[in-house]
Amino acid sequence: MSEWGWVALAYAVAYGSFAVFSVSVAARIRAARDRLDAAVEDPR
Amino acid sequence: MTPSFTSQVGAVVKRDLRRQRRRGDVLWITIPFGAVALLLMPLAVGTDAGLLQRIGPGMFWLTVMLFGVLVTVGRASVETQAQRDAASLLGLDPAAGYAGRSASAAALLLIYEVIVGAIAVVLYDIEVIGIPWLAVTLVLVAAGLGLLAALGASLVNSDSGGSALVPLLVAPLSVPLLLGATQAYEGLRLGSSILEWMLLMAAVVLSVAVVGVITARPLQES
Amino acid sequence: MQSDIPSRRWPWFAIGIAVAASVTVAMLSPADAVQGELVRIMYVHVPAAWLAYLAFGVTLIASIGYLLSRNLAWDRIAASSAEIGVYFTGLAIVLGMIWAKPTWGVWWTWDARLTLTAIMFFVYVGYLALRRTTDDRRARANRAAVLGVVGAVQIPLVHFSVVWWRTLHQPASILRPDGPAIQDPIMRVALLIAVIAFTVVYVSLMVKVAELHRVNDAAQAAEAGEHHPVAGASVTAPGLDPGVGNV
Repeated sequence: MSEWGWVALAYAVAYGSFAVFSVSVAARIRAARDRLDAAVEDPR
Repeated sequence: MTPSFTSQVGAVVKRDLRRQRRRGDVLWITIPFGAVALLLMPLAVGTDAGLLQRIGPGMFWLTVMLFGVLVTVGRASVETQAQRDAASLLGLDPAAGYAGRSASAAALLLIYEVIVGAIAVVLYDIEVIGIPWLAVTLVLVAAGLGLLAALGASLVNSDSGGSALVPLLVAPLSVPLLLGATQAYEGLRLGSSILEWMLLMAAVVLSVAVVGVITARPLQES
Repeated sequence: MQSDIPSRRWPWFAIGIAVAASVTVAMLSPADAVQGELVRIMYVHVPAAWLAYLAFGVTLIASIGYLLSRNLAWDRIAASSAEIGVYFTGLAIVLGMIWAKPTWGVWWTWDARLTLTAIMFFVYVGYLALRRTTDDRRARANRAAVLGVVGAVQIPLVHFSVVWWRTLHQPASILRPDGPAIQDPIMRVALLIAVIAFTVVYVSLMVKVAELHRVNDAAQAAEAGEHHPVAGASVTAPGLDPGVGNV
């Protein structure tokens, strides 16, 4: 693999995993908010 | 009148060692486990005598770090939340409780080291040299690992079945002890200085003891 | 009643800008005389490693903060930093491997820094594993904080032991994944910008992950408060006024 190939791999891993991590955090926040809203609005 | 710190520590040590004698996890499980590991290793990497003599000491210390920790885990040692609550209700100083558990763990580890160490010497034809410093090493490792393992055991609530977690928590933090012990043996063999390794291991013992005692009470209060 | 924990959007924008800045400087900076284009990997590997240590430090400080104040906010900071830290530690290790392979021909070397980073990774993993053993927020915070302090106090000793060990057993061809020291001032500036950019990413992620923990804690508290039947399910607690919001 050429040098640029390795650089591209490194950047794909770095920024790709950034994106995956950020998306997962956002999704977990949404799920947590749904859970909170459900618990708070429960008429009991 | 609350008994003194030292007598509380002594009581905890006596209780732990008595439990060990009754339920005998260390003698029947932990020590054999370490011995089996030593037995299996040459089957995995080959029985060349030179190779085994080179890696033997390291293998021995590795079993101490990974399996020796199990002296604080298991039926005879594990403390349920109910037992801890009872102890605190009875006025047991949590710091004394931790000190006692560390001391008994260190004692059990020393027994482990001597027995499994002897097996390693036989299986790997290890040269036993510098016995005084070797003894100091055995004690320092037993003390440091005992303190770490007792702390690990108090963090992991046995009710949640997390006892396999204790070795995982202790292993990375035991690196200074592992390197200290193995490099000290190397140093004794080659005739080079081992003082810094001894001091490093002593530093581990001191630092874990201080942190463990200071955090014993905050840890107990939930 | 909607949850009144604010949701912030600026962290996501900050991350985007920081990433763009980091990629730009990495591409604009010159190639290295010795390492060629591979030096550009430094602009992600070094900042990731820096963040791994920073996050660790924050976890230590927050653990002490919790033990002193008993305020669960400190615990949430410690937990958030540990989660982000384990991610960046893992990333630093993988990026180090991607650098090492074309540079030295091996995926892994046992030099001090890589070995230490790997050990730190497992300290983090143990910390997160310990947090998973209980849902009781107090107990979890207590135990995690103690482990955080013990871990941080031991890390310098781990560091010395590994560095001394490697000094004694230096291999014939000295493999240093970070290569020779950076001389070019443009590269130094680029690296600094990359480190700052990654720090912005860290702070932004901290804000969001801490928010996640706050919302989860609030949800857990609300669920516990809601489903607390008085004297068993056969008796329901009388409401004071059906028109008023929940207690």
